[in-house]
Amino acid sequence: MIEVKDVTKWYGPTKAVDRLSFTVQPGIVTGFLGPNGAGKTTTMRMILGLDHPSSGSVTVHGRDYASLPAPLFEVGALLDAKAIQGGRSARQHLTWVAKAGGISEDRVEQVLEAVGLADVARRKVGGFSLGMSQRLGIATALLGDPPVMLFDEPVNGLDPEGIRWVRRLFRDLAQEGRTILVSSHLMSEMEETAEHVIVIGRGRLIADASIREFTQRNGASHVRVVSPQSEELAPLLRSAGGAVAADDGALVVTGMEAPQVGQIAAEHRIVLHELAPRRVSLEAAFMALTEDSTQFQAAALDSEAIAETARALAAASPGDDSKGS
Amino acid sequence: MTATTLPEARVAARSARFSDTLASEWAKIFSARSTYVTLLLGLGLSLGMTALVSLAVGSTFEEWTASDQATFEPIMFSLVGIVFGGIVYSVFGVLVGSAEYSSGMIRLTLTATPKRGRVLAAKALLVTVVVGVFSLLSTVGMFFLGQAILGSYDMPTASLSDLDAQRAVFGTGLTGAFFPLIGLSLAFLLRSTAGAITAVLGVLWLPEIFGGLLPNWWRENVLSLLPGPALDSAVIGHIVDSSMYPDPVVGGLMAAGWLVLALGSAFVLLVRRDA
Repeated sequence: MIEVKDVTKWYGPTKAVDRLSFTVQPGIVTGFLGPNGAGKTTTMRMILGLDHPSSGSVTVHGRDYASLPAPLFEVGALLDAKAIQGGRSARQHLTWVAKAGGISEDRVEQVLEAVGLADVARRKVGGFSLGMSQRLGIATALLGDPPVMLFDEPVNGLDPEGIRWVRRLFRDLAQEGRTILVSSHLMSEMEETAEHVIVIGRGRLIADASIREFTQRNGASHVRVVSPQSEELAPLLRSAGGAVAADDGALVVTGMEAPQVGQIAAEHRIVLHELAPRRVSLEAAFMALTEDSTQFQAAALDSEAIAETARALAAASPGDDSKGS
Repeated sequence: MTATTLPEARVAARSARFSDTLASEWAKIFSARSTYVTLLLGLGLSLGMTALVSLAVGSTFEEWTASDQATFEPIMFSLVGIVFGGIVYSVFGVLVGSAEYSSGMIRLTLTATPKRGRVLAAKALLVTVVVGVFSLLSTVGMFFLGQAILGSYDMPTASLSDLDAQRAVFGTGLTGAFFPLIGLSLAFLLRSTAGAITAVLGVLWLPEIFGGLLPNWWRENVLSLLPGPALDSAVIGHIVDSSMYPDPVVGGLMAAGWLVLALGSAFVLLVRRDA
């Protein structure tokens, strides 16, 4: 378990993290989300004892990272996959890390195999693609078989096959009872991997909820209706309590579920060409949330604003708007 | 392509010890190409420069004035190559620390070994031993090579059974890690390869460069406090006469003090600063 308690971090005059508190539970993958510059990496560095909080405390299993007697066996981390010296081979690189924790060289071979780098173990890491470097970083995190693992933007640079692999790996690791924290600036990455999300913006906590809760709370749903008699239908829906907006020949109905819309149409003998319940994607909800934080508005979330964002997104990428339902 | 389930670690979890940090830093140093380049270059330059200068002097010695010939001192002369080799060894000391900062790998190092003092101590210990071995090879090699060349021109030579020669050859060799350790400290203080190399060469060379330009009072009271003259007074002060040199014992203690100051401030900043 990772506990971040009331942590503030200043870099000179810049407040990178602002009274942040959350805990990361074992057994599930926790997504750590926020736009670039939100303070995710800073928070991860503080968890690893690399940066010291200006105030507040960060603990792993109730202890300071720096006071862990066997850190590599307790916490595995991937921070910046490219921040390594390029002159060593993958095997040499993993070997020095392993030795620092008293881990055998057999284990180096195991993790090389596990991340699919066994064939290139002798190649210089300076020539690795970002995707291969990410795999090497994941191998590093796996060395001590630790119960707590942190990954900072691990999906960057991976090919689709690599992304599928890494998602499955994280879920498997979590199923073994580990605490897995994975950061990302893209909500879509988390939808299929994380069970719980912690969203931050401008160093502040915006949301700390299960994916289901998060979607329900922030991802407003709407119903898309196409009818040749939409001018008749719209007032009927409004009088039944729905909010209706026109959207490129269709009606976007909120505050009402699809069956109710169908019922009203049938009662008034109105022809429907299309009746589609749409759930706002997590991405849209996330963007609506963090957009607020990037503009530094502390105002409460307006569900209509979210629906609007969702409509814009749905229009921009047809077929993608029903994701996450 | 890859397995998703991972074999459990066969190694039992145990606390990391200083010997683990040492083994890790050893593996790091000897898997970096710059290590081989700098160490072999240092040895090669030391021997090569001594050979070159000895040949040049040997072939012109007969043309020297009688008084120049009479004051020719073969021990220090044969060690001239360490001036060049020493620069390269100092660069090695810097790189052991600074290369991790330029790549950002220091964060991985300090994640694996969060007891930061151990990292600095292991690096310092390895620089001491590795450069110690190479600089000793350099000075002993230069001495024999130099004497052999000078002897072949019938010039005055010295023997290693001579106590003065022993103090200069072994003293210079065994303290060869002094400036590399200052360089290592500067690497942790400045966190930059270029900055630390410039700084260590400054510490190494400024007294030599400005020593001759400054009035004697400065040489005796200011330059004599600097690390270079302090160390030199202990290892070659019995042969070389310089107004910059303090008493050899005092000089040795001062050199040790400089080392403690450099490594101590590197330690304090390494522990306190964000990585």
